[in-house]
Amino acid sequence: MSTQHSKAAKAFLKNQTYAHWHDATFWAVRTKRDNMAYGLDEWEQLREKASQIKRHTITHLDKYLDQFATAAERNGCEVHWAKDAKEFNEIVFGILKNHNVKKMVKSKSMLTEECGMNPYLEAKGIEVVETDLGERIIQLKGQAPSHIVMPAIHLSHDDVGELFEEKGISNEKGNHDPTYLTYRARLSLRNEFLTADAGMTGANFGIAETGDIVVCTNEGNADMSTSCPKLHIAAIGLEKIIPNYDCLAVFQRMLCRAGTGQPTTTYTSHFRKARPTADHMHIILVDNGRSEWIGNPQHWEVLKCIRCGSCMNTCPVYRRSGGYSYSYFIPGPIGINLGMLRNPQQHSGNVSACTLCLSCQTVCPVKLNLGDQIYQWRQQLDDFGTANPQKKLMCKGMSMVYGSPGIYNLGTSLAHWANYIPSPLMNCSLNPWAEGHKMMEFPKKPFHKMIKDYE
Amino acid sequence: MSSKEDILKRYRANVKEQFDMPDLSDIAGVTYPDPLLQFINMTKSVGGNAIEVAKGRDINEIIRELYPEAKEIASNLSEVTIATRNPDNVSQASDLNGTDVGIIRGEFGVAENACIWIPQTMKEKAVMFISENLVILLPKSQIVNNMHEAYRRIEFNNYGYGTFISGPSKTADIAQVLVMGAQAARSATVLLLDDSDL
Repeated sequence: MSTQHSKAAKAFLKNQTYAHWHDATFWAVRTKRDNMAYGLDEWEQLREKASQIKRHTITHLDKYLDQFATAAERNGCEVHWAKDAKEFNEIVFGILKNHNVKKMVKSKSMLTEECGMNPYLEAKGIEVVETDLGERIIQLKGQAPSHIVMPAIHLSHDDVGELFEEKGISNEKGNHDPTYLTYRARLSLRNEFLTADAGMTGANFGIAETGDIVVCTNEGNADMSTSCPKLHIAAIGLEKIIPNYDCLAVFQRMLCRAGTGQPTTTYTSHFRKARPTADHMHIILVDNGRSEWIGNPQHWEVLKCIRCGSCMNTCPVYRRSGGYSYSYFIPGPIGINLGMLRNPQQHSGNVSACTLCLSCQTVCPVKLNLGDQIYQWRQQLDDFGTANPQKKLMCKGMSMVYGSPGIYNLGTSLAHWANYIPSPLMNCSLNPWAEGHKMMEFPKKPFHKMIKDYE
Repeated sequence: MSSKEDILKRYRANVKEQFDMPDLSDIAGVTYPDPLLQFINMTKSVGGNAIEVAKGRDINEIIRELYPEAKEIASNLSEVTIATRNPDNVSQASDLNGTDVGIIRGEFGVAENACIWIPQTMKEKAVMFISENLVILLPKSQIVNNMHEAYRRIEFNNYGYGTFISGPSKTADIAQVLVMGAQAARSATVLLLDDSDL
C-alpha cells in the first residue's frame, strides 16, 4: 500500500544522522522566516495584498503579457513566445546558433529544469555552465536539485569536498571547509564567466509596465552571467509577469524573508536591455501548460506561486523525506501540486506526502492553499486511475461498517478478541497497519459504552 | 497561428472568474525614527560595512586606508583620483577582472534591508560585480524607509539596467554554512557622505 514517495522516504531515512540534520536545518530556516515575518507589523497585510495582486494578475494575464512584450520590445529586446518545452528549447538553440555560441553560463532557473534545456543543448554540442554554487555542485555531480532555493542541500561539505577534488576544482586534498570550497568554486566559475559566449538568466518577476526582467540572487551570479558575455537570454514563465513597481515592492519584500529568512537578497537586478557592448537581449515567455492550468477550477491558483520555497522548509514531510523522495523535479507542497497539474498519472504517488497540517499555506507569502489542494487531488485519484485498489477496498468496507449501526456495534464489542491473536500473526507484513506502527490494543468496552456507563 | 496568438487564445478560452486589482495605497510599510541609523545597522547585519564620512574628508584617503594592499582600483567617478582602471574605457568587460576595489555611486539606500539603488552609469557594469571589494558612495541624506518608497523613486537612464545591492555576495549552498564572497564582491563598504561633499 506504500506510495512511491513513502518507499523513497524510507531510503532517505536510513541515514538517521543526516535525516535529523536535514530536518533541523529546514526548521532553522523556517524559524528565520518567522523572525522576519514577526518583525514586520504589516506582514499579514502584505500576504493578503500579494495574494490579491496575483489573483488579479493571473486572471488578466493576456493583457499584462501583451503590455510586457510591448514594453520590452520598445526597450530594444527581442521577445519570443514558447508554447511548450520543445519550442522553448528550440528557440534557445536557434538564438545560440545564430550567435555561434559554444559555451553559455546561466543562473538558476527552475523553468529550464522544467523544460529539460541543459541536456537538450548539451546534446547539440553547447556547453552549459550553471553558476549558482548549489546548481553548479549538482551539475558536476550529475544530479537534479533537491530543493528549489537550496539545490544541493542533500550533500554534506565532505561530499562537495570530494567532488571538487575529483573535478580538479580544489587542490588541497582533505580541505572540506565550506569557506575554502566556496572560494575554489569562485575561481573556477570566474573563468567560466570570462570565457562564455552567452549568459542566461531566469526571472523572478517581469514588469508589464516597464518591460523589466527582475532577477534576485545572493551570489551575484545572474549579474556576472550578464556582465561579460555578449548575449543575454532571459527565460520567464508566463505567470511571473506582474503589473508594476508598486506590486513588485510587495513581492520583493516577501520573497527572501519567506524563503531564506533574510531581509532581502543581496542583488535585486532589473534588466531592460543589453549592455552597450553586447548584442540585443532576448526574452522568452514560456507557457508549457500554464494557459491550460488557469482553466482548472480547483487548482488554477497554483499559478500564484513565486517559488520562494517556504512551503518546503516548513513541511514536516519534506523535512523528513528530502527532495528526492518526490517524483516531480520540484518537491514539497508546491511540487506535489505542480506535478499533479503536469501529469497526474505519473505523480499521484506524491499526494500521500502530506499530513494535511496546512503549515505550508500558513506560511505561504501569496496565501496559496497548497494543503487544501493536495486534499482535493486525493479525491480525484480514482478519476486518474491512480487510486490504490487496497485502499479503495478498505474505504468500501469502512463505509459499509460505519453505514450500519448493527455491524458497527458488533465489531466494536468483538474487537478486543483480536488482542489474543499471537503477535507474530498480527505484526506481520500481511497487515499494512503493522508497518511502522505497533498494533494497538483494543479495549474490552467500546467508547460509547464506556461513556454511557460513566453517566 | 503564431505561438503568441496560440498561447493567448488558449489562455482567454480557459480563464474563468476574473479578480480586481487590490488597492495598494493603504499598505502600512515599516518606518523608522532614524532611517540612517537603521540603514547602518542593517548594512552590518547583511555582512557589509557602513562608514559615516566626516565632512570635507577625502574619500580617496579613506579607501586607501581601508584597502592598503589594493593595486587595481576601478572607477569612472570624477572624485576618485586613485583609480587605475575606468569601466568606461576598457576594451572589453573582462578586462576589469582582477580589480581589487571597484568604486561606484548609489542613489539612495533603503533602511529596512540595506539595499542601495545603483543604476548603471558606466559602460561596463561588470565593475559592480567583478571587483573583489566594492565601495559604494552614498549621500547619507538619501535613505528611504522601505521598498514601497524605494520603488516609487527608482529611475533608469539609457543604459537600461539598475540593481539594488545589499551587502556583499554570499552563499550558504555548501551545507548551509554562510560564506561571504560567492561569485561577486567579497566585501561591500558603504561610504555615507555629507551633502556638502557631493
